[in-house]
Amino acid sequence: MLSLLCCFLFFLSFLVHSCLRLRTQAKRSLKDEKEIDEGAYVVGEEETPTRLLRELMPRHVAVIMDGNRRWAERAGLLTSQGHEAGAKRLLEFAELCFKLGIETVSAFAFSTENWGRHKIEVKCLMSLIQRYLKSKIQFFQSEEIRVSVIGNLEKIPESLLGIIKETEEATMRYKKKHLILAIDYSGRSDILHACKSIVKKSQQGLIREEDVDETLFEQELLTKCTEFPSPDLLIRTSGEQRISNFLLWQLAYTELFFSPVLWPDFDKYKFLEALISYQRRERRFGCRI
Amino acid sequence: MDFNDPMLVLSSWIAQIVDFGLDLLWCFIHIVVSLCHIVSGTFEAIESYAISLGLIQKYSSIDIEKLKCLAVVMDIEAARDVSKVIELLQWLTTIGVKQVGLFDSQGLLKKSKDMILEMVPRSVLLQETGERDISSDRIALEFISSSDNKEAVVKAANILLDKYLKSSHPDKGEEGENVFTESHLNEALRVVGENVQGPDLLLVYGPVRSHLGFPAWRLRYTEIIHMGSLKYMRYGSLLKAIHKFTGVRQNYGV
Repeated sequence: MLSLLCCFLFFLSFLVHSCLRLRTQAKRSLKDEKEIDEGAYVVGEEETPTRLLRELMPRHVAVIMDGNRRWAERAGLLTSQGHEAGAKRLLEFAELCFKLGIETVSAFAFSTENWGRHKIEVKCLMSLIQRYLKSKIQFFQSEEIRVSVIGNLEKIPESLLGIIKETEEATMRYKKKHLILAIDYSGRSDILHACKSIVKKSQQGLIREEDVDETLFEQELLTKCTEFPSPDLLIRTSGEQRISNFLLWQLAYTELFFSPVLWPDFDKYKFLEALISYQRRERRFGCRI
Repeated sequence: MDFNDPMLVLSSWIAQIVDFGLDLLWCFIHIVVSLCHIVSGTFEAIESYAISLGLIQKYSSIDIEKLKCLAVVMDIEAARDVSKVIELLQWLTTIGVKQVGLFDSQGLLKKSKDMILEMVPRSVLLQETGERDISSDRIALEFISSSDNKEAVVKAANILLDKYLKSSHPDKGEEGENVFTESHLNEALRVVGENVQGPDLLLVYGPVRSHLGFPAWRLRYTEIIHMGSLKYMRYGSLLKAIHKFTGVRQNYGV
């Protein structure tokens, strides 16, 4: 019975698909579907429920890279190796995003709460970030990726601060691709930082009390470095379903995608799943359409 | 030239057949995935009914004490269906949830506040309970909208700005910056009339997996579960979501 049903559905789908195909072929211009390098997906003009549309791509994707330690534990590796795998995955992820036309990628690399972890792990993380940034400056320049770091940064080692500054300066002029790393970042601190910034400007006579509104407030948040501070899509891996103090203000209408996969295993296929889910959603931004 | 024309036609046919074949394969995979979704959806519905009937042992007793504050976010379509909202609240009362925050971005639920309080037995407005503990047979309700989010933070920021400008002296340097701590902003938000308590669990009802502008300041460590449509909500799914929450262990970044 089930196999008959499958056959019937298959035949029906074949008929529908054939009709649609004939119709669209008649309308289509010479510019056909483009296949991206890896060949795992197709981005094109024809609208089908199983394909991604470039015009519906999110402009800004944020990611909470959770699960590196668990991944290392399951693989029988050290925690530091888990974080290494996570860093590698982030770069691959960012590259894929930019290839798909996503302009801004934000990654929660190190939260303010993470300072509470074991000192050795924290030191490893700082060292890893430093090493990766230093080794990838040329790559960022060749790919024209702008790199920005947001966060408190007061407790960060001087050597890492130096590399951060160097990377930011080396890539400041690039506009089309933007990688934002949140290091020692807290959403609440971001909001407080905006308050302090407003106070300073008020002291300097640049703004009056009555000028303080949502728009001005947003312009004082740490995400002012990007044209699109509010992510369209937030991905959190490892099955945890919370935003853990990341971009609190900015996430009001962000599509939240919680994946059970651990971050080092979050490959392009899992990401495509997130994008398909995103493109299917009817986002209303709180209003009735 | 003549020899090339049939070759071109042939290769074009082959390309089209291959293309068509790949499309059929894609279609078939799509059907298989859709069927899997149908089957898993059916299982979920059956499981939900089994939970509702108390047939699954592990959902019979839930450590509800862990859930101090629950928030429910719904899109405006769902918020218009007040009867469903009331039904949901009655279920939550049955489960033993003591404090529920109801959020919709446009404030429709705020307008239906009186009706909801009247129709949900033993319900009381959270603001009226004050500092007192909510008794075990009552449920405290809070009605929230977008105006309690960014607008409230801006008002609170203005209060802090005002306080800073009145208190700062040129020779005290950085001292004014001590006005801007989390606890100060919490206090300023309370002055503006906002609740700063972060919900432990946020249930999202609607087509979009987004918290739709729920007060950002409160969402720091909140567990978020998307429940689907309010219209087709199930008691079993609600119980399952709460049970899942009670099993979560947070590291808080450490």
